[in-house]
Amino acid sequence: MSDTTKAIFTGDRCLSCTSCMANCPVMAAIKDYRGPKLVGPAHGRMHFSQEDVEESLNYCSNCKSCDRACPSGVAVSTLNMLQRAEYYKNHPHLRHEDMLAHGERMAKLIRKIPFGATFSNIGMGLGKTLGVFSALGLAGERNMPAYASTSFKDKFNRIKQPQSGKKVVMFTGCYINDNEPQVGEAFVKVMNANGYEVLIDTAFNCCGSPLVVTGFLDEAREHADNNVARILYWKSKSIPVVTPCTSCSLMLKEEYHELFGEHEMHEAATNVYDAFEFLEILQERGEFNDNLKPLNQKLLYHVPCHLKSQAIGLPVIEILEEVGGVKVQTADAGCCGISGNYGFRKDKYEISMKIGENLFNRVKQRDFDKVISDCGTCRMQIHHGTDIKPCHPIEILAAAYK
Amino acid sequence: MKISDVIVIGGGLAGLMAAAVAASRKKNVVVLTYGSGSLPLASGAIDFFNADNPEDAVKNLPNHHPYKKIGANVLNTAAKFFIDIAAQANLPYVGRVNAQIPIVTAVGTLKYSALVPESMDASHLAGKKKIFVAGIDGLKDFYPKMLVDNLKKYFPDKEFQTAKIDLHLLGGRDITCMDAAQLLTDNEQILANELKALNAGVDDAIIIPPILGVMGNFSRSVVQTQIRAEIIETTCLPPSPPGIRLQRAFMKYLQSSGVKFFENSKVVRGIVDGKKISGVVVENAVREKIFRAKKIILATGGFYSGGIFMREFDNPKEPIFDLPVFFPEGAENWSNVNLFDDKPQGFSTTGIFTDDNLNPIDADGKILFDNLHVVGANLGSCDKIFERSAGGIAITSAYKAATI
Repeated sequence: MSDTTKAIFTGDRCLSCTSCMANCPVMAAIKDYRGPKLVGPAHGRMHFSQEDVEESLNYCSNCKSCDRACPSGVAVSTLNMLQRAEYYKNHPHLRHEDMLAHGERMAKLIRKIPFGATFSNIGMGLGKTLGVFSALGLAGERNMPAYASTSFKDKFNRIKQPQSGKKVVMFTGCYINDNEPQVGEAFVKVMNANGYEVLIDTAFNCCGSPLVVTGFLDEAREHADNNVARILYWKSKSIPVVTPCTSCSLMLKEEYHELFGEHEMHEAATNVYDAFEFLEILQERGEFNDNLKPLNQKLLYHVPCHLKSQAIGLPVIEILEEVGGVKVQTADAGCCGISGNYGFRKDKYEISMKIGENLFNRVKQRDFDKVISDCGTCRMQIHHGTDIKPCHPIEILAAAYK
Repeated sequence: MKISDVIVIGGGLAGLMAAAVAASRKKNVVVLTYGSGSLPLASGAIDFFNADNPEDAVKNLPNHHPYKKIGANVLNTAAKFFIDIAAQANLPYVGRVNAQIPIVTAVGTLKYSALVPESMDASHLAGKKKIFVAGIDGLKDFYPKMLVDNLKKYFPDKEFQTAKIDLHLLGGRDITCMDAAQLLTDNEQILANELKALNAGVDDAIIIPPILGVMGNFSRSVVQTQIRAEIIETTCLPPSPPGIRLQRAFMKYLQSSGVKFFENSKVVRGIVDGKKISGVVVENAVREKIFRAKKIILATGGFYSGGIFMREFDNPKEPIFDLPVFFPEGAENWSNVNLFDDKPQGFSTTGIFTDDNLNPIDADGKILFDNLHVVGANLGSCDKIFERSAGGIAITSAYKAATI
């Protein structure tokens, strides 16, 4: 790993071959976006004044299909995000962009108020009904993700774990912490079953993904510096950092370094694991606990874009097929379209639903018992587009441990 | 991770074909790709060899030529398999190894190929009464008038008419054929209506850029059933819908056969176990992951796609297994300054030498690894562009490697 992986050094490798265009789901959905090649690698390097703005830059969803399509290793989407940050140096953020970028701040605020989560959920329901979201620039068609009454970090303190010399630090991610704490609980159960004690580090921030995609790059940098320092601390104690959220793991493992290029970001990244990647490594070492009860379930697996980008194969399938009677079928239906907070924007809602159409049609075939996906926003999008509620694969695995 | 039967490295034509053939024989297959492969940039037409009778011609090639290793008997079987995969995805192809089917290029020249998407088959052009050439408002890189001027050289006595049709594509980016094809998928009626208005008769042809959707033949069927004249698609600049349709046809087959397909997975080296490669190592941003298999097929695209590179002159490298690479020594043999004359380009012959099983060999002819097979553009000693054999070598070598 050298500094050549820093995104700004990769643009010169672009041959203009158009592979990124052929694989961009946003381009396939609408004709307003000029496409990854022309925005990041081309305009990103060639614009020299504040006024020279590429308007269609805001259409990039950062799903990273272009990066995966590129045969030359250009970090196309990250070039787009850097370009977006440039734009916001001279242009104000809109209200909804500020809101969508700062979910963590909002959640922390709500947790300070007694029954804050309940009241916010009522408020969000009302907000949707009364069209307040729409007026703010949010997609009025969507439910905002409801807050869990107790956050995972609060629940965590009450979980009785067997003590162990083997430990992992769980990077919870905002969505699991505030909206789906049951995923966190399942994670702890699985790790415990494999002989690991789970630690939580409350000094971690949001990974910064929502900040990067909305152009709050300076704040994202603060999050990166803080998180990297914490990960390096745990690395010095030989305790790996593991996360069940695939966008968090991609940010921590790859995007910090691509965006900011500091050596210690890569150094920290080597101590970060996706949850199922970690379990598969245990499996390869012969340390995976395969004392699992059969579940007899047919699962449809939507592989998140941000997992595909990690080049770790499909560890979910390797692990879940250890469970008796479990059959995992990949959906193979492309990007779900929501791409983090992209599909929550009013002006991107239709694009996001159009991109997701293939996946929705696949899910609606209902030839399975459950839909699984490791990404929180993918799960929300599938639920919204099909009325079928998916779960995190770790919940399936947790259910198989007695 | 379990040990698979076959790992294919590379997702271009040769890689997809190898994976499909192996999967059709009930093998457990993993495909590792880095970049989306060359098909979205390709015309979709397959040539075997620039000769009247490729089947005979390949028998008389020098001994080190890839076709000599592959064997002339594979050509027909591979072609049949290829056509069958496409047909299963409702993407009809016409032709056979020895066929010479004309297709119209975007500039109006005729190109003859062996296997051609049915939508591009221009065989009947000579018998048409009138030929319409329809350009699309806002579509770049397609000029009906230039196309007609050039096509007239082939058909001087024929009546031509150019037309401009509006598919409401203006008001966004500059539209490519891929954009038009994507926007027309499931939305074909607008094109059908415009073409109907040309009033072309049953003896006429309408030439259009390749915009009839990105999923097999579906969009074409919708439009053609409403139009009396035969609609013929040209080739185009990339991204190319006919190539994308072909890629999707293969992907559909691989997905339905349970092939595991991993993107963004850059293979950096093999795990050598004597004369075998027991697995390959994929390097991601932070660590390495091992994929194991009984057989490895190297379809990394040769000199043009990073399968072989040359940082220092006269020192070409195959970066994964460090295989010996053949190349024409001496700068004077490296290139031919007359780009379009009747001699091949030396540099284009750079590649790996193999035995009859497509196992890589060294300068003495010694087999290096007996479960590693080299296919497609990686194979050395011929200029595949000059001979027009790239597609043919890709699918036949892939077929052979997958069936050994």
